[in-house]
Amino acid sequence: MRFSSFLQPLARWSGRAGLALAGLALLPGCKFYDIWRMDGHQSTLVVDGPVARSQRDLFYVTCWVTLVIFILVGAVLAYATWKFKARNAADEHAEPPEQGHGNPLVEMGLIAGSVLALVIIAYPTLTSLWYTYDVPTEEKKDAYEITATGYQWWFKFEYPHEQINGAGALTASNELVIPAGRAVRVNLRTVDVIHSFWIPKLAGKVDMIPNRANFLWLKADQPGYFWGQCAEYCGDSHAVMRFRVVALGPKEFNEWLDSQLQGARSVAVKTAAAGQAKAQFAALRTFKTNEAGVTDKFEVAPLEAWRAKQFPEKNEDGALIAQGKALFTSKTCMACHTIRGHGAVGVTAPDLTHLGSRTTIAAGLLENNREQLQRWIHNPAAVKPGNKMAKGYIDNKISLTPEDEAALVAYLESLK
Amino acid sequence: MDALAKSDFHSKEESAPAKPFVLWRPTAKSGLIDWLTTVDHKKIGFLYGFFALIFFLVGGFEALLIRTQLMFPNSDVLTAQQYNRMFTMHGTTMIFLAVMPLGAAFFNIIMPLQIGARDVAFPRLNAFSLWTFCAGAIIVNIGWFLPSDRWGAPDAGWFGYSPLTSKGFNPAHATDFWIMGLQLLGVASIAAALNFIVTIINMRAPGMTMMRLPVFVWMTLITSFLIILSFPAITIALVELMMDRQFGTNFFEVSGGGMPILWQHLFWVFGHPEVYILILPAMGIVSEILPCFSRKPLYGYPIVVFSGASIGFLGFAVWSHHMFTTGLGAVATAAFALATMCIAVPTGVKIFNWIGTLWGGHLQMRTPMMFALGFIWMFMIGGFSGIMHSAAPADAQQQDSYFVVAHFHYVLIGGSIFALLAGIHYWFPLIFGKKVSEFWGKLSFWVIFIGFNTTFFPQHFLGLNGMPRRTFTYDPNMGWNTANFISTIGSYVLGVGMLIYFVVIVYTYLKGKRIGHDVWDGRTLEWSIPNPPPEYNFRVIPTVHARDAWWYEKHHKEEIAQEQAEHAKAEAAHGGIHMPFSSIYPFVASFGILIASIGITAFDSNPAPGIHWKLGLSLTGGIVMFIGIYLWSLEGNEGYHLHLDDESHAPETKPSAKPH
Repeated sequence: MRFSSFLQPLARWSGRAGLALAGLALLPGCKFYDIWRMDGHQSTLVVDGPVARSQRDLFYVTCWVTLVIFILVGAVLAYATWKFKARNAADEHAEPPEQGHGNPLVEMGLIAGSVLALVIIAYPTLTSLWYTYDVPTEEKKDAYEITATGYQWWFKFEYPHEQINGAGALTASNELVIPAGRAVRVNLRTVDVIHSFWIPKLAGKVDMIPNRANFLWLKADQPGYFWGQCAEYCGDSHAVMRFRVVALGPKEFNEWLDSQLQGARSVAVKTAAAGQAKAQFAALRTFKTNEAGVTDKFEVAPLEAWRAKQFPEKNEDGALIAQGKALFTSKTCMACHTIRGHGAVGVTAPDLTHLGSRTTIAAGLLENNREQLQRWIHNPAAVKPGNKMAKGYIDNKISLTPEDEAALVAYLESLK
Repeated sequence: MDALAKSDFHSKEESAPAKPFVLWRPTAKSGLIDWLTTVDHKKIGFLYGFFALIFFLVGGFEALLIRTQLMFPNSDVLTAQQYNRMFTMHGTTMIFLAVMPLGAAFFNIIMPLQIGARDVAFPRLNAFSLWTFCAGAIIVNIGWFLPSDRWGAPDAGWFGYSPLTSKGFNPAHATDFWIMGLQLLGVASIAAALNFIVTIINMRAPGMTMMRLPVFVWMTLITSFLIILSFPAITIALVELMMDRQFGTNFFEVSGGGMPILWQHLFWVFGHPEVYILILPAMGIVSEILPCFSRKPLYGYPIVVFSGASIGFLGFAVWSHHMFTTGLGAVATAAFALATMCIAVPTGVKIFNWIGTLWGGHLQMRTPMMFALGFIWMFMIGGFSGIMHSAAPADAQQQDSYFVVAHFHYVLIGGSIFALLAGIHYWFPLIFGKKVSEFWGKLSFWVIFIGFNTTFFPQHFLGLNGMPRRTFTYDPNMGWNTANFISTIGSYVLGVGMLIYFVVIVYTYLKGKRIGHDVWDGRTLEWSIPNPPPEYNFRVIPTVHARDAWWYEKHHKEEIAQEQAEHAKAEAAHGGIHMPFSSIYPFVASFGILIASIGITAFDSNPAPGIHWKLGLSLTGGIVMFIGIYLWSLEGNEGYHLHLDDESHAPETKPSAKPH
């Protein structure tokens, strides 16, 4: 008996010491304070548009109301626990306290208080709900329309008002360019399973559901570069179904539209600089499974980096590009992909007409550069488990030599 | 009328010679045969608890693998598919195979004792529920042991959103195992729930009016109603999905005009009440523990009961808050948002009343009390993040993010599991006659408490920082690294805590010292009987005079002793204590169901290859089930009588001589 009375405080204190130790151990090693930094690329608290702002402000209302209740109720609970705790053997064996059964007035008062607290939350919930649901009437006339379609595991973006003669609406993939400062209404569609369209800094998510004409609206305050991700479990590679959003000022947006309406860029063979060293076909380095495909290139000034992507690279190898273009057809890539103006008209896979001008490939997963592009076409299954391109390689017995890969990469990178 | 009454009161000797061999009733009181044929609610409850804890460890192991994968960005401990299997099976296992059956274990063992009954209303149906639960558990998990290309473990999420579950997107039979397993678990749950409802309504001891029921019994009743009202919705959904997959119908097949959104409605009409099926028993347990260790009655009993019923009722009106992002339209979303907020009121009322129970009491800080207090704190946090979700526009950012993961783990671990762990410590002395060491119990509490909070509190921040759920990898530049690392460390601490908890429990079970009667100075009837409880529970069916019946008895000893002597005489004149015979047929019927279900999961919509063995297996199973149920009905609901001497000894050699 005496032994256990010695051990009980020990149990209590070992718990507290454990907590303190855990805190200390974590502090120096991994920047414990990091978790308080709520400014990640997909932060829902540091936002850049009115829809996300309305949702965040509502969150703060719920947060403050519940925090106040938590402090009040928690204080009473903590006090009751401390005050009425049996402290010694005499307490333990004391006569039982008064066997009271409660007080209806106290109950009713607390119920009324809870209802009041909920009204404080309910009112802004309803106003925010109607505001975030659809484009406000006064902005409807100026709103820009886009259709986003989910595929396993990438996004297609169509611009229904930008028709191309004989080729339907302008189509982009995995990188959505929108006008900044203007309401954008996004129609949400899917061709297979349920996906969810989420750009945390601009707007909360809405699902893309088969047989359902969903939509959302959003607006970017300023030109900027944003991260988006599929938010509904959609199969093997759900985790790597991502996308990026670029918001541009009116003039730049129109320039971008004009460039996109053009067909794919062609590089003449003769532009190959005379005497240029023959392309090196170094074997692709091995990538670890799930190795990150991003650098910090888009961390500091992502919009500038995106703008730089819009211009052709220097020292393009025209011969190599021509070789890649031929491979794109002979390796049957064109059966699934579209490259407008180059004869490839497949529609089951992302449109690659202006692939070279995008900042990422493989649905926002890998940075668009030579190494990552080659990593992707070398073994798509390793990057995105279960994807259809990997299956296409097997079904159509496609194999690529390092030379083929280099040529295809050169070609695809030239598609500005 | 006479004949009916008679069949109930046959004695062993009388019935034996008249029966053909197949209707022989097993009489073993220990050993394998006893465990397979028992109809004793305490043994069935023990088995429920035993299986539930095994699956709890399995589900916990899956969780640790998930956390290990997410410890660092871009890690490859698991492949994408393995990870998807882990979270699918973690959810399915914890909900259907751990928390629900652990609740059922308490319903089975404690509820009849609290209402002064000698068994549940349908003892053999009770055994059938248990074995069908086992069949379901086997089928859900069988895929782990089969080749993963055509079979494998389920990987479409515990919610199985159509059309990801359709044959086109998920051709392996993994999903069929999930469908059939859940279907069987539903059968088991509905049978058990009906049993509990009939028991509570019909088998209360004299004087045990509804408003004198212990709160745990009330929560059992409400939970059971939720089960029989909500499970049909998922049963229908699963049948439709099975028809789509096995027989080519088009309920959810988009290409055939099906409506995937229908699945979500059917699933959540079940799924939201299911959440309360998991939490209400926990609230019941806490409502028993707090008064016991505060040494005063529950504060505001009628309001606690009524709020439990309101939660159950409102639980059917809020399913679409799981679907705020599916484009319901502003009006429907608003209606479900407001209905969801309403639930906060009865839930809050419960917390107020628990605090009211503590107020002015003499709090004895034993291990069950620690877990119960931990429950209130953690459940408050989970409840508050729940209120945040009810604000639908804010939920558009939180839905399917780690914020939701944090929320429901606070409710389900900090809530349900904490209360169940409290309940295990609380009733362990009653069930096994041994008491777990306070030191080790409290140590396990603190390790679990710290581990749990370290795991799940940072996940709120992950969610608000935009990390989506069900993702097997993330990039290092998203600001999620630290919180994920801390969370994983926390999960290991939580794992260690659980390990300590269960090692101590098992150690006490095997080596613990015997303790005396009514170790906590309890208030409800289960503490009035010896521990471990005898087969017949109550020597004399008690008469209830007050809400905390045993507390009243302890303070009115003479009155009660006189009353019991009279009752004992009356019962002896009536033929002694009547006990039901054991039966093997519930097990046979469930075994048949298991075989048939395995056959059905193997069907394809194109049945050509192997149709004979698949059909044969299904039919064989069906026949076995039919034989089981037929003989079960034929063997009759007979029992035998026990006559106790003054020291409550029931000599096995002295069976009842008098038929009636």
